[in-house]
Amino acid sequence: MAEPVVVTERLTKRYGRNRGIEGISLRILRGEVFGLLGPNGAGKTTLIRTLLNLLHPTGGSARIFGLDSRRDSRAIRARIGNLPGDFVADRRMTGRELLRYLAALRGMDGLGRAEELAARLRADLDRPIGALSRGNRQKIGIIQALFHAPELLLLDEPTSGLDPLMQEEFLRLVREERAAGRTVLLSSHELDEVQRVCDRVGLIRSGRLVTVEPVEGLLDNAPRRVSVRVDGRIEEAELAALPGVSDLRVNGEAATFRVSGELDPVVKALAARRVVDLEVARPTLEEVFVAYYEAPEGTA
Amino acid sequence: MSGAAVIAAAREALRRNRRAPLTWGLPLGGLAALIVAIYPSMADNLTTLAREYPEALREAFNVGDLSTPEEFLNAEMFSLIVPLAVGYFMIRSIVSALPAAEEAGELDVVLATPVERRELVAGAFLASLLTSAAVLLVVLALTLLASLIVDAGLGAGAALAGAAEVWPLGVFFGGVAALIAGLTGRAALVTALSGGILVAMYVFDLAGKMADDFSFLRHFSAFRLYGQAMVDGIDPPAFIGLALAGLLLAAVGAVAFERRDVAV
Repeated sequence: MAEPVVVTERLTKRYGRNRGIEGISLRILRGEVFGLLGPNGAGKTTLIRTLLNLLHPTGGSARIFGLDSRRDSRAIRARIGNLPGDFVADRRMTGRELLRYLAALRGMDGLGRAEELAARLRADLDRPIGALSRGNRQKIGIIQALFHAPELLLLDEPTSGLDPLMQEEFLRLVREERAAGRTVLLSSHELDEVQRVCDRVGLIRSGRLVTVEPVEGLLDNAPRRVSVRVDGRIEEAELAALPGVSDLRVNGEAATFRVSGELDPVVKALAARRVVDLEVARPTLEEVFVAYYEAPEGTA
Repeated sequence: MSGAAVIAAAREALRRNRRAPLTWGLPLGGLAALIVAIYPSMADNLTTLAREYPEALREAFNVGDLSTPEEFLNAEMFSLIVPLAVGYFMIRSIVSALPAAEEAGELDVVLATPVERRELVAGAFLASLLTSAAVLLVVLALTLLASLIVDAGLGAGAALAGAAEVWPLGVFFGGVAALIAGLTGRAALVTALSGGILVAMYVFDLAGKMADDFSFLRHFSAFRLYGQAMVDGIDPPAFIGLALAGLLLAAVGAVAFERRDVAV
């Protein structure tokens, strides 16, 4: 089993009366792409900024590469790349000047992978950052997070502002990072990108981690939507009595409903008739996400 | 503390301030040059004019008998305009490199590198010290140039001492700004409080010089250690004391910055 790169134990950050994150316990393993999913204000950025020691936790602890996130922050940051959710740099600075500055702070001799990344993302490193469009500015943000080949990448809403082609290129980059054995924590509210690139997902809601599951597991365990048409009449009571069936709507010989857990009892009950049509739809991550968010707090 | 990180942070702050020697030095130096340039044509009347000033006012604004270009330049420029301008420049410079960058979110990228916050403060402070020295050098150069052109007879050593004496005062107010920046991280608050302290200290010193009843106020003012080096020469203990006080304030500000959250 891969060793954990990030381990948090009941990590909490409160701002005055406001809750930032509350009791987050999490393990992110080496070489995985971990998605942190939640709407704006759920606590994703607070968690990342706390890991970077930009915010000091009010409770719990975090260890990264086995080091304490506060005491050993300098050693940790030497091995991390960070793309903030709202990437900002001095508007008069060019991308190259920014990279030179960050390289100097990192003790690098050159600009590492910067040229290669700029070519792939079609980024202009020689224009002032203030003169760039949002998407082109975001490319500079991605390059500065990756150019020193960090072991752990913290990416907060990384595809924000990128056009679809560049989003694809970025996701390819993330997969390459994983293939190279690096670890990625990707915060997003873009369900599609999380579904396409992440190995596991943590859902965060109101500062609390609701669940952590493999992307596939999250989809497998979620209710599937079933539509069925049989030759004859469907008995509503019979279907309603089956384990895991909900949202049942029967219309003579047709029915639609959701099934949580095993499908086997449903299939066996339907098999008593001649099945004319059957469709079982896996939920999208978006539906899973909405289901978690619709549930009252503490039940999801 | 890593020297390389401090130098990198200082170079970045110098880049931000690269136009300051011209944008701040040229207007101040131009004004000082004008004062020197008109001195020869006014010299004969200045002593009579100066003797008509009330004694308290002459003491408050370091007005001697204005019989030399050094006294005239000191009274017109170096008793009020230049020290206040350089003090405010230092405040602006620190605000730009630290709390303004912090509030804009620029430090989230910088502080994700292995740089310590105290190194960032040290770099910003070092850059501000160098830039304020460059501003004063431009002022000095323009002043001496004007003196040469009109043959005003301004002594180079005296002019250098006058300009040099402003520098530790700037260091002090830079330290005040770094301290408040470390505590709050709010650019507007740092500018307002530091600027307020700068003006208040000037007023305290002025009031203390003008009225004996208010002389105790001078104990609360850094301007108490700011004399008229252009006329009397530099007072080394005052020079070193002001500079050290500024450095100490900045160091406390750096510690305070490390102990709080970085602003969102």
